[in-house]
Amino acid sequence: MVKTVLHAQEVRKSYGVRGNIQQVLRGINLRVLEGEFVGIMGPSGSGKSTLLNILATIDKATEGTIFVEDTDLSKMSNIEMAHFRRTKLGFIFQDYNLLDTLTVKENILLPVTLGKRNKAAAEADYQVLAKDLLIEEIGHQYPHEISGGQRQRTSAARALIHRPSIVFADEPTGALDSKAASTLLGILEGLNRERSITIMMVTHDPVASSYCSRVVFLKDGMIYSELYRGNKTRQAFFKELINVQAVLGGDHVDTV
Amino acid sequence: MTQFELIIRGMRRNIKHYFLYYFAFIFSTSLYFVFATLQNDSSFMAASFSNFKFSSIFNAAGILVLVIVVVFMVYANHIFLKRRSKEIGLYQLVGLTHSMVARLLITENALLGAGALLIGMGSGVIMSRLFVLILMKLMGSQSLITLSFSGKAALQTMIVFTVLIVVTWMQMVFKVYRSTLLDLFQSDRKGDHPKQPRNFLSAVMGLAGIILILTGYMLSSQALGQHLFLKLLTILGMTILGTYLLFRVTIGWVFYRIRKGKNGHLGLSNSLSLATIMHRMKNNANSLTLITVLSAMTLTMVAISYSLYYSAGSESRGMLPYDFIFENNEQDSKSFGSQLEKAGITFAHGSIEALRLQGKNGSGKEGVHSLLLLTAEELQATGADIRVPVQNEAIMYKGLKWALSEERTSPSFSQTIDFGPSGVHVQITLNQAVDRYAMNYSVLGRQLVISLATMKSIRENMPISPGYESIHIDTYLIADQRERALASGIYTKMIKKDEFNPDFDSYYKESIRKFGLILFIAGFLSLTFLVSTGSILYFMQMTEAEQERKNYTILRQLGFEEREIIGGIIQKQWFVFSIPLVIGLLHSIFAVKAASALTLSDLTIPAAIAMSVYALIYFMFAVLTVIYYIRIVRTAL
Repeated sequence: MVKTVLHAQEVRKSYGVRGNIQQVLRGINLRVLEGEFVGIMGPSGSGKSTLLNILATIDKATEGTIFVEDTDLSKMSNIEMAHFRRTKLGFIFQDYNLLDTLTVKENILLPVTLGKRNKAAAEADYQVLAKDLLIEEIGHQYPHEISGGQRQRTSAARALIHRPSIVFADEPTGALDSKAASTLLGILEGLNRERSITIMMVTHDPVASSYCSRVVFLKDGMIYSELYRGNKTRQAFFKELINVQAVLGGDHVDTV
Repeated sequence: MTQFELIIRGMRRNIKHYFLYYFAFIFSTSLYFVFATLQNDSSFMAASFSNFKFSSIFNAAGILVLVIVVVFMVYANHIFLKRRSKEIGLYQLVGLTHSMVARLLITENALLGAGALLIGMGSGVIMSRLFVLILMKLMGSQSLITLSFSGKAALQTMIVFTVLIVVTWMQMVFKVYRSTLLDLFQSDRKGDHPKQPRNFLSAVMGLAGIILILTGYMLSSQALGQHLFLKLLTILGMTILGTYLLFRVTIGWVFYRIRKGKNGHLGLSNSLSLATIMHRMKNNANSLTLITVLSAMTLTMVAISYSLYYSAGSESRGMLPYDFIFENNEQDSKSFGSQLEKAGITFAHGSIEALRLQGKNGSGKEGVHSLLLLTAEELQATGADIRVPVQNEAIMYKGLKWALSEERTSPSFSQTIDFGPSGVHVQITLNQAVDRYAMNYSVLGRQLVISLATMKSIRENMPISPGYESIHIDTYLIADQRERALASGIYTKMIKKDEFNPDFDSYYKESIRKFGLILFIAGFLSLTFLVSTGSILYFMQMTEAEQERKNYTILRQLGFEEREIIGGIIQKQWFVFSIPLVIGLLHSIFAVKAASALTLSDLTIPAAIAMSVYALIYFMFAVLTVIYYIRIVRTAL
């Protein structure tokens, strides 16, 4: 049986004071298995970013339980949560979130600096990742000197260097042109297949979602439907996604 | 929203944000006002000394205060404008004209400036009283000088600070009219990106910085002698240039090497300290140089003036080993003694038989001096700490250090001294010189101490020669300080006006007054300097902290704990604050060392005390910035 990496039960989130409560998430149940590449789609305001933030421990749920591997997130203190984030989770953000004072290599190695692994092992991991992500050449350059695609791949390398249980990606292709986006997604898909790295990606772009192995649709804070890619081609999967999205409304996609 | 509302809002926000700026503004206004009050107070200025240009020192200090206040205000305003550039850009983006934005800023600044000026002068009135009390205490003066509110001082302060505020307006106008919208919106993103330093050039420049500083140090430790002013300027120039290169090139180069050695495995604390400092080194080199030089100047000033004050007692003792003396005047001496007894004052009386004669050391005509020969055994009998030299040897008690004496090089020992131009020659060897006097300096002649036996043989060998004079000196020492002061009154009445016969008590009190005043002025100046340098560093760090906020958010999202991030920040602040302080301290240590060549006493303890007090206050600013950073990190996620 495949291991469950993330298990969310009845996750609710509401903002605002009493009398004027706005429920953003209204009972999400989600199970992510090891080696899955899960996409989360939905129109603006459907709660997809909130869900990602909560699952990624950056935000706290109002109700519900979340297990990552065997750890119950709701029972953790802030410090434990920070430690957990650093050791078990990886992040890729829309606007890269690289430190502009550090070189590409320094940025990538940042999460492992206080880890137990020794320098040689970290260096070896870095070399492998840099090769996979096509950023070997730019290790000593600063973020402002490289392209957006390179920055995002740097960010991806940083998310993977400490071998997290699951990688969260929040609109990773949002700021990239289509070529850079497809390079990045292709690499992520490859890593997901070859090394069974578990990835959860929030996006509103059906093209990006078509690289996933499963796509979850959110609407008004609830799961609306799920699509598995199975053995379908990416093009066929993309068409299915478009169809669901058309039913969902909200973001209208005219381009195919 | 009307323009007025905009102004009020801006002010409210600014007071909260730039609390320290206004505090510093108010503080410097009060300081300047106190200075102006003292300057304009005739009764105060009259409390002067005959040999001492009191008012000119005060005026010079006033100019210094002014200069530092100007530098500080312009710098602080520059930082402010930079921080508010987004706001300025936004006003323009929504359609306000240049002149409207400028008027907005100027009105806001005028209101705040006027407020600060008034508060500053108000607290200046209170502070001036406090400062006068401190001054009186330092000078050991009992008579209280009462200061009244001086309209002239208020006017002077107002004019000076109004001009200053106008200067800051000009800065604002310049900023509003001269920068493009793009500049305004991207101002906080600017920061230079460290490039790989060109190896050869930066190595040379980095070394040049160190060499310049070291040469300056070496020059300073040499005796100053001729062309004093020129030499001082050279040393100053070298040190300042060296310091600038040190910040601009050397430190960056060293950091670059360290970083390269890490090969990407930087670690969180280095990422937060090393990388961030490198990132801003180019921009910060100017301010750090300014801070270092100011710190060095302040430290030197405080250390020297405190040392002078601290050692006034021992210095006076070095000049006047005996409280009272009578030279060839046994009659007066006796009556002085009996008067002391009558007044119930306990004293120790000693009498010394000395010889004054012409003597020659070295060859040529130059070496002929009037010499005062004293017997070590007799001096010892009066309680003096004096070693008995061996037969035919002498120890010179030259009082002044060589740095101040006219001879530029200290005499090489041992040399012979040849007495008796009349043809009878007695030679003794001079083996040692001591930096104090064995007899009060008012007694004529270079003081040579010899043993009783040597004295005897000299007396026997040359009974008559021109310029040969036998002198009887009566010495009086009084242990109790209050009794000494009483005796001083009796003594002053007895001695004739035309005679130069200072007594210890008057001399000591005079030096305390003199050095107390110098210490007061130095302390005053250094307070201004310290507050400005500390504030400049604080502003710099505040701005940096705001710019770094995004990075802290990232780090916290990645799962670094607050504690770890703050640890890295503390390391960074430690570098940022201690590098200028350490270099400033080094500079001032050498400066104090050079200055200690001028005084008789050891300056180590007082200088160390002054420097540690300075460092302590300075580091309070570091703590303040760390607190500011902690707040930013806390709210970053």
